Amino acid sequence: MSLIQEARAREEMLAGSVVTQPAAWSVTEQPWAWAVAALLLIMPLIANGFFLIEIFGTTLILGTIALSLMFLAGYGGMVSLMQLTIAGFAGYMVAVFGVSGNANISLGWPWWLATPMALVLAVLFGTLGGALAVRTEGIYTIMITLAIGAAFYYFTNQNWAIFNGHTGINTIATPHFLGVDWRMDIAFYYLTLAVAALCYFAVLYLSRAPFGLALQGVRDNPRRMAALGFNVNAHRIAAYAFAALIAGMAGVLQVWNYRQISPGSVAVERCIDILIVAVVGGISRPVGPYIGAFIFVILRTFALDFLVKVGLDGNRFRLLIGLGFLAIVFWSSDGVIGLYERWRKRTRQETRPPAGGHGHG
Amino acid sequence: MDRVADRLSALGSTAALELRGVTRMFGALAALTDVTITVRPGERRAVLGSNGAGKTTLFNCVTGDFLPTSGTIRFFGEDITAFPPHERIRRGLRRTYQISALFLGLTVRDNVYLACRGVSRARFSMLRPGVNDALMQATERLIEAVHLTSVRDQLVSELAHGQQRQLEIALALAGAPRFILFDEPAAGLSPTERRELVAILTSLPPHIGYIIIEHDMDVALRVVESVTMMHNGRIFKEGAPHEIESDPEVQELYLGGGHE
Amino acid sequence: MSRFIERHPIWSLVILLAIALLAWLIIAVWPPGLEEAIGRKKVFLSAVFNGITLGGLYFLVASGFTLIFGLMRNVNLAHGSLYLFGGYVGYAISAATGSWILAFIAAFIVVAAIGILLQLLVFRRMEGQDLRQTMVTIGLSIVFADLMLWAFGGDFYQIQTPAWLIGPVQLPLITAMKSSGEAVFLQYPMVRLVIFCASVVIGVVMWLALNRTRVGMIVRAGVDDREILAATGVQIQLVFVLVFALGAGLAGIAGVVGGTFQSISPGEDTRFLLASLVVVIVGGMGSIPGAALGAVIIGLAEQLGSVYIPTYAIVVTFLIMVLVLAVRPQGLLARR
Repeated sequence: MSLIQEARAREEMLAGSVVTQPAAWSVTEQPWAWAVAALLLIMPLIANGFFLIEIFGTTLILGTIALSLMFLAGYGGMVSLMQLTIAGFAGYMVAVFGVSGNANISLGWPWWLATPMALVLAVLFGTLGGALAVRTEGIYTIMITLAIGAAFYYFTNQNWAIFNGHTGINTIATPHFLGVDWRMDIAFYYLTLAVAALCYFAVLYLSRAPFGLALQGVRDNPRRMAALGFNVNAHRIAAYAFAALIAGMAGVLQVWNYRQISPGSVAVERCIDILIVAVVGGISRPVGPYIGAFIFVILRTFALDFLVKVGLDGNRFRLLIGLGFLAIVFWSSDGVIGLYERWRKRTRQETRPPAGGHGHG
Repeated sequence: MDRVADRLSALGSTAALELRGVTRMFGALAALTDVTITVRPGERRAVLGSNGAGKTTLFNCVTGDFLPTSGTIRFFGEDITAFPPHERIRRGLRRTYQISALFLGLTVRDNVYLACRGVSRARFSMLRPGVNDALMQATERLIEAVHLTSVRDQLVSELAHGQQRQLEIALALAGAPRFILFDEPAAGLSPTERRELVAILTSLPPHIGYIIIEHDMDVALRVVESVTMMHNGRIFKEGAPHEIESDPEVQELYLGGGHE
Repeated sequence: MSRFIERHPIWSLVILLAIALLAWLIIAVWPPGLEEAIGRKKVFLSAVFNGITLGGLYFLVASGFTLIFGLMRNVNLAHGSLYLFGGYVGYAISAATGSWILAFIAAFIVVAAIGILLQLLVFRRMEGQDLRQTMVTIGLSIVFADLMLWAFGGDFYQIQTPAWLIGPVQLPLITAMKSSGEAVFLQYPMVRLVIFCASVVIGVVMWLALNRTRVGMIVRAGVDDREILAATGVQIQLVFVLVFALGAGLAGIAGVVGGTFQSISPGEDTRFLLASLVVVIVGGMGSIPGAALGAVIIGLAEQLGSVYIPTYAIVVTFLIMVLVLAVRPQGLLARR
């Protein structure tokens, strides 16, 4: 058997048809990624307050929420539409336990107590939701998590005791420590950059650790994973918990950014936006959600001007988003990254003789 | 506590796998009816029967993919009838699948590593393994054992069919298996690959028993010491390979009409 | 049925008791103590009737959703958009012609045609890729929502109830006893009752069509085992198109019903999509009786909840879903 197999493998290798593992798309393996990292670090020198927060800060926050979906969907095969809900829940909890303009609701804890509390509760929320979602499989996950997200949205609308109904909670206090007001543009930008980087590298690292590998095994073949001794559902639920932590951190940043939160922040359309962001960027690699978030934020910010300029109604932003999303889903299985890789492969094939082969990558 | 005692007392004398009166219904359809099988530790047995005889359902009941509608299953004396699949695997039960059930999005190495990890501790570990990690070394040894070293960094989806079957066996050999269920391991293999398969199966350590489902008599009867014939979800006949081969009823039912 | 009782005697008893209690609450004249504790019977009865008739509406939406999912494994998240569009079409037709019946016919035809186009142009090209199909339906729902907002604006529209259905009808259910000993009977809007009866009829016809006709057999076989369907060599694409048309058309009809019962406006698409999701999760994917049961349960829970525990009404609905997922993840009436 061995000789035949090896001979066959060698043949294929010579023919150049053997594709090795896809490039890992980590910062260390893509040269231009260093440039992006450097650019992000010196961004405050280039961009003014509006761009720094409204574009880049928002992108990083949105991207991090979408990253939590990418982690679940890309590695675990579970498309969860409740990631924004978890982020929003964390935001609400910051408002409820911390300090806000609604003194009758907020408990007035200092930020260093309220924030961990919010994160713990968010993880709990995500874990319970996940435990519910893993009762079924595949496409059902979308439905159940969407139902959870919607239930939370309607609940925040109806409930006044904790969530203050449809007005929501306003003028939420933001942290001051080390003599810095972390709500100031530059400080807040670096804070979001740090959190986003932390989450990004954590996901990247985890993807090659036993837990992440096992999750990918669960994605590819849950039955076989069980037959190898893994408790498949426990792994899935743990993945939900980890994703909830990521989403929760982004949610805390979100609420510090806007200083208010209301049911509109956790509406069903927002939940679906997260899916759009992740899918448009590319759902198989951690960098995808950030690319998607950047495109989304740019569109959202400038679509109005653009649409008016070409003579259309400026309110048609959602139409643009929907059509763009449809186009991506139609033409690429892996978002913008997928398009880029296809393009790169094509140019490579054109520049190299086909028999050269690329055995190792 | 008494479960430990149960296991200890069971160690000496009992069967590796013991099914008593196992019945599995799908709606009104009985896929298995009152199946009783006892396999000694280290024994190697073939389960033969036509399509729909209930062979794979039998495997699924043993591994816990389906729960039997009635009856009990004991593994080295321990009643595992209601155990979830992963608990059975941790006790040393393994299986391979008729249609390769591999992780297509991962590399060969990752596949085998997962198999090793599945039966060890720290399945939830968030730390990456180092090069000298014991499991990594076990992984390399297994890859070598099934002759896949040259393709170990390739995605499984890009392997040839025969290579996938080899990987399938590697996954079942990970950890410390005590008993393996092989579901048509020779399906789709070339004659040469079949000879290699026979060599792999016969060279397994003697303490590892197995049940093999196989349509190819030349493979099946050469690697086992006993045979169970199934028909319509029931045990039809049991005996040594030569008895089964020469049994007129079996000839009539299964081998009749001239097999390949 | 008898097998269920055999296998789950305690559950059967609980269900039976719950039904008996509900029946008693509906039929009996409430003793004064009960009225003091939970309010007037009239309020309760209206909530029950609202719940059941709302369930009828939910059934119309969810049955199409569940049928499309059951056969094609297509989670059509644009189903709410089809509902809303049906409502707008119905409004336009009834405003133009003054005919309520015509509104139904037009809504069915137009929305079913959209369903056919979707199946032919979009979903047929990505058969078997259920995640991709779902993504597409999400994209479509966004596009549809914005197009409808563009065309119809953010206003509320209500479809005019025809004159012959306006007004209440007296039901033989006693809500209270006057001090004179005279019984007061429940008054209930005629149109809601008629629509409810119509949705029951539609449900029964669908069930019969699925269980008694050849096309129905094919569809059911396809729900159970798609490979069998492909192997039998029936014109599977035609069946798919028909089912998609029927499912979409039902959503369109439901839109007219919703526009008559309540009103239609942007956002209703999401609301009814979610109602369908929950109904189908509770009742069981791909099962028409399941959709009926789920719809009535959710309708009742919503209405009773909003009367008796207004700030937590949504939680009741949600808890029902959680409970079902915990006890019977495949849904109450799903096979498997």
